[in-house]
Amino acid sequence: MSAITLQNVTKKFPPSTVAADDISLSIDAGTFTVLLGLSGSGKSTLLRLINGLHTPTSGSVTVLGTEVGTARRSQLRQVRRDIGMVFQQFHLVGSMSTLENVCTGALGSLRGPRIGLFSYPKAVRQRALEQLDRVGLADQRFQRADTLSGGQQQRVAVARALVQQPKVLLADEPVASLDPESSHQVMSLIAQIAREDQLTVVCSLHQVELAMHWGDRIIGLRQGKKVMDEPAANVTSEDAMSIYGSMASARPAPPETAAV
Amino acid sequence: MTTLTRERADTRAVPAGGGARPQLTDRRTLRPPSARALLGLAIMGSFVAGGIWSLIELRVNIASLIVGYENAVNFFTNRVGALQLPPLGELAQMTVMTLAIVICATALGMVLSLILGLLAATNTCRHAPVRAVARVIVIVMRAVPELIMAIIFIRVFGFGAAAVAGILALGLNSIGMLGKFYTEAIEDHDDGPRQALETGGSVRLQQIFGATLPGIMPAVVAHGLHRFDINLRASVILGYVGLPGLGMELSSALGVGNYSLGIGLALVILGICIAAELLSGFLRMKLLGRSEPSRFGFFWLVGKMRRRYDANRLEAPSGARPAAWGERTTPPWNGERTSRFTYIGLFGLVILASVWLADIDWIAFFHGLLSIPAVAGQFIPPSDGGIAERLWTTLLETIQMGLAATFLGALLALPVGVLAARNVAPNRAVVQFFRTLIVVTRGVPELILAIILIVIMGMGAVAGVLALAVGAMGLLSKLVADSIEETDIRVQQAIATGGAARTQVFFASTVRQAAPAIVAHLFYQLDVNIRAATLLGIVGAGGVGYYLLNANRVLQFEVVTYICLMIVGVILLLEFITSVMRRLLR
Repeated sequence: MSAITLQNVTKKFPPSTVAADDISLSIDAGTFTVLLGLSGSGKSTLLRLINGLHTPTSGSVTVLGTEVGTARRSQLRQVRRDIGMVFQQFHLVGSMSTLENVCTGALGSLRGPRIGLFSYPKAVRQRALEQLDRVGLADQRFQRADTLSGGQQQRVAVARALVQQPKVLLADEPVASLDPESSHQVMSLIAQIAREDQLTVVCSLHQVELAMHWGDRIIGLRQGKKVMDEPAANVTSEDAMSIYGSMASARPAPPETAAV
Repeated sequence: MTTLTRERADTRAVPAGGGARPQLTDRRTLRPPSARALLGLAIMGSFVAGGIWSLIELRVNIASLIVGYENAVNFFTNRVGALQLPPLGELAQMTVMTLAIVICATALGMVLSLILGLLAATNTCRHAPVRAVARVIVIVMRAVPELIMAIIFIRVFGFGAAAVAGILALGLNSIGMLGKFYTEAIEDHDDGPRQALETGGSVRLQQIFGATLPGIMPAVVAHGLHRFDINLRASVILGYVGLPGLGMELSSALGVGNYSLGIGLALVILGICIAAELLSGFLRMKLLGRSEPSRFGFFWLVGKMRRRYDANRLEAPSGARPAAWGERTTPPWNGERTSRFTYIGLFGLVILASVWLADIDWIAFFHGLLSIPAVAGQFIPPSDGGIAERLWTTLLETIQMGLAATFLGALLALPVGVLAARNVAPNRAVVQFFRTLIVVTRGVPELILAIILIVIMGMGAVAGVLALAVGAMGLLSKLVADSIEETDIRVQQAIATGGAARTQVFFASTVRQAAPAIVAHLFYQLDVNIRAATLLGIVGAGGVGYYLLNANRVLQFEVVTYICLMIVGVILLLEFITSVMRRLLR
């Protein structure tokens, strides 16, 4: 069954950036898809189109049966609850405890604003603790998030996404700010959790080796266009490198489009 | 512009492939002056010229300082005699009243500013018209001096409920500063965590409470405590128009020529201001925990001493024992959490107590709200009261005071600030000395200084300029030192590796990097000084404030409005020039 479907999706940012150029693809539930491309190739934009942080200029994006681009606010929030997201820069509140950061992932299913750990229902706190334990950081639960290392912070961010009990997990360059050791940890954690929870994962990466190692399927992007779409098993590293185009003729990449 | 540079970069890249380098036709090594640079120079030039001209016009010179000194000796030997204080009980009551009003006002200001800040920031409010309205409110609150607000509110609520009037005046005026700071804090704060919550399907209010507020809380509290100090100082001057507390007592003592009581009270206020600054510095450190304490406060000095002491001992192993936590999902009540909650609780208690102690007359308050239309009628239409010429001359004098004080202050602050910057000063002792100097200077409220100087040197602009210049020096040298310390040290190292001497490095890189910030601070200081100069007129330090107070005394409210419009006009004009200057510097 297809969890995510994009039909002829184009996204333009004025004045002249085309971040997604007529992209059509369909992603099956329970698969691990890697978006591969240079920075500025449109990976982030594609992910943000999927959870409705961007609306397409033309074309349609359907996630779990809801058309995201035209959904009303409440519908959009509804579908977003089923989509967890992990960011390159973790996006944790540094001054809050690790556990509270994880709890904030559950806000979509709670009513009203929350301040402080005690304002979350006990059930949510326990769910958060379980997820934190799953990423191996239960012992750090009361530590401030900014006292953790980069790899640990990213694991906390994964736990925050999992507290939503999502069906889809989007990861935007989850390991680009991490050292190889932590990168491996975080990637295998995501892969393992995806298998256990039967998540549909869409993960953007720029390292060919990582993409080939972790992905079921690799989608190559260059300047907003889909230039490759193959099962990872069929992809050789020469193929993957070709996504980047020949380095000699590479033009300077357009600046990464600012997020929202 | 960007395409241009990129093309140029591309043509540079080509010759590496073997092509001939294109002939360099343009051999100029000096850039023709741009309109921007000329405009910037013109504004800076007129600022310096205006400063010098004002100093001459106001007769701030060595001769008048000598006369002032002789007056001072004469004054202290003949007129003051022994210092005098009101009975202790009365003094305590006045102090409590002043503090209660200031705390209420600051709390009110913080709450309103936070709401306005959230409405004015691009990342928390999506509706452009709402943002615009919130920003305009902040600007208006900033432009109208608290004194004029107080005059209006006291008229509305009556002298019986002057405390309410004072709270509203100071609270609303705080919005001008806090609203701006909070908006900036929200916009500068990393928007990522909020976006992360948005992707989880939470509503905007949840995003704000879940990610934005926890992130900016330290800044909110720090700016609020800073504003508390400012409000405390401002409350003294509001005493001149009837706000109960120490300021009113001071104004009536000086009004009847009881200088020994006046100076006594001024010293008490000075003490309270310094104590409040120390306390707020302490609270800032306690509440913010990790955030770096001000590098210029008293507690910076204490902390430094303590760290030096602590460094000699072995650090105790820190970190809690996770094993015992089991299934706990609330943090243990360890020392850190207990003390944090104690402080938050105390904070709340103090605010509640202040609301109670400020003796708010709710009946008069609601009565006053009903009388607003009638009172508003008294303030319009604006009228010059037949003394337009005098008003405009004194307004000019006010501006001159601001210019002269900023110029003098900058002259003093530049060397002090440079020598207080750690990355420039020749050695640590020099840094320590100048930082201590800055701490001490900043502790003295310029208003109290002005009152004392006026009593000593007689009424007039000279006392006002000197008081403002000292205040300007304190603030500016801190800002200058900060700007210099924030420069990129790697650039300086790069130049130093080329064999440049210390002074060469300083002028070639440090000054160049810090200059835009310093010039911006200079204009900010001018803005602050002109506002302050209008207020100082009230205590008799020259300028248009004196007529403002008179008009209020004789109930010529149309004239109050006239003067108010004049002042607001000058402030807005100045704000415009400042913003142009900022844009030029960018």
